Amino acid sequence: MLKASAKADILKQIVDVVSTLVDEAKFNVDADGISLKAVDPAHVAMIELTLGKGAFENYEGEETELGIDIEKLKEILKLAHAGDSVRLEHNEDKNQLIIKIGAVTRRMSLVDTAGMSDPKVPNIELPTTMKLKAEELNYGIKASESVSDHIALVADETSFEMSSEGDSDSVDYKLPKEKLLQLEAKGKVRSLFPLDYFSNMAKAISSGSEVKLNLGNNYPVKLEFEIAGGNGHVRYLLAPRVES
Amino acid sequence: MGVDISGILEKRQIELGDLQGTRVAVDAYNTIYQFVSAIRQPDGTPLSDSNGMPTSHLIGLLHRNVRLISAGIRPFYVFDGFPSELKAATLEKRKQIKIRADEKYREAVEKKDMAKAYSYAMQTTRLTEDMIEESMRILDLMGIPYMTAPADGEAQASQMALKGDVWAIASQDFDSLLYGAPRLVRNLNMSGRRKMPGRREFREVHIEMIELEPNLRRLGISREQLVDIAILVGTDFNEGVRGVGAKKGLAAMLKDGSIESSQYAESIPAELLSRVRETFLHPSFIQDYGLEWRQPDGEGLTEFLCHEHEFSRESVEEALAGLKLADVTRQQSLDRWS
Repeated sequence: MLKASAKADILKQIVDVVSTLVDEAKFNVDADGISLKAVDPAHVAMIELTLGKGAFENYEGEETELGIDIEKLKEILKLAHAGDSVRLEHNEDKNQLIIKIGAVTRRMSLVDTAGMSDPKVPNIELPTTMKLKAEELNYGIKASESVSDHIALVADETSFEMSSEGDSDSVDYKLPKEKLLQLEAKGKVRSLFPLDYFSNMAKAISSGSEVKLNLGNNYPVKLEFEIAGGNGHVRYLLAPRVES
Repeated sequence: MGVDISGILEKRQIELGDLQGTRVAVDAYNTIYQFVSAIRQPDGTPLSDSNGMPTSHLIGLLHRNVRLISAGIRPFYVFDGFPSELKAATLEKRKQIKIRADEKYREAVEKKDMAKAYSYAMQTTRLTEDMIEESMRILDLMGIPYMTAPADGEAQASQMALKGDVWAIASQDFDSLLYGAPRLVRNLNMSGRRKMPGRREFREVHIEMIELEPNLRRLGISREQLVDIAILVGTDFNEGVRGVGAKKGLAAMLKDGSIESSQYAESIPAELLSRVRETFLHPSFIQDYGLEWRQPDGEGLTEFLCHEHEFSRESVEEALAGLKLADVTRQQSLDRWS
């Protein structure tokens, strides 16, 4: 059961962070809020999302699963203006999500969740942790995009660097420790990532946010940030490109 | 020098292309030594720039790595660290050989016997600290990773091969097989048509692949027994038993199983025997090494080779084109970590 209402921009943000990886997703509803775990079809990236009931204007939930077509929900939310409240109600009999925006009532049929099991989250320990502004991350990505399809993330005790090498061009964007909000490293680590995935993930972070980044050597990268004014948490995991 | 167990090992001829896509740990001293010993003028004088600074090691490392990298091979150089104290006698012997060769080289030059001069000059080959430092510098500029081993470079390289971080060891010596390396590649750094020293002859040198497990199976012995054979023949760490070669050693192993139970039990002091075995079977090993190949530093390489050592700009530019790494990374799936 779900009966809740939330500001449109919070729902749009959720749609943004999820749609970078999947078209359809299974949201787990309970009394405390909504959560989701999903892996993209290529198994290259994963998202774990938790949204506490504090993110909603009002919230009533009981354990259930909602299979949502993310693209469809994105289109529906376009009907809302910033600041509008969006009311969500699960009609269990018809397996529909009823979405009310102002005078609009949109009945969206849900996707069958029978085949959608929660992916297993890899248990990985990453040696290097840092925190930085989302803008810095996106700036480094922007610098790389004209050079290559890949981006190398390199960190040691003194700095964090995003770099790319193309056939003839290359670029580095180096952030010394002072420019980071936090840096905990022991030795140098470096991993290479597909830029399209990484860029989409970083763009889903709302500007002004802090992002926590965990990095290893030829290991997946973990990106964590808060959404919905601290009432929600997103964790992305992205697998590296590794020399074969 | 290494151990002479060649006679009982089966080798397979391979082409450079067969190694495409593999990482190979190169025995750095062994390889650079070959360059310095072979890359000489016809009378045996080492190549140098106009300041008299030797360049053979740089020429060898540059051109050979261009060949390897353009063939899709990823070389990783392992330099020797501190030699084991057991090796002191061997090192002293090598020093004496060089002193004698030095004298004979000068005699041959006086007599204008160029073929002899060349061959004695090769025996005088020494690797200086400067050459090693410069070798590391050129590797760095070429984007090729390297490390210094705690002791024997082959020991470190073999452990890396056992872990699967490299596919094979490149060395002229057979010691890496004793250290457990699954594959040894010989002649990697000298394959192709080579001029015979001091003669107007050419010889085709082929790359040889020696695989440990198939050889042990064929011989019907264990790696421990192969080490025992090597100890009987003589290694860098012990003298060996006079008159015993690899074939006699093998026969002893097949008959008696180990040195202790063989007729040679008294020939090798027990303490030395256990120390040499320990050296080969449980070598010291650094776990932490960076296996990262980078694009070459064109500016740095030009500065180093053209300005400091008078290489021609064209040859360096040509080399740079060959050193460009093709993208060999592959996207991984998260399943690998689940």
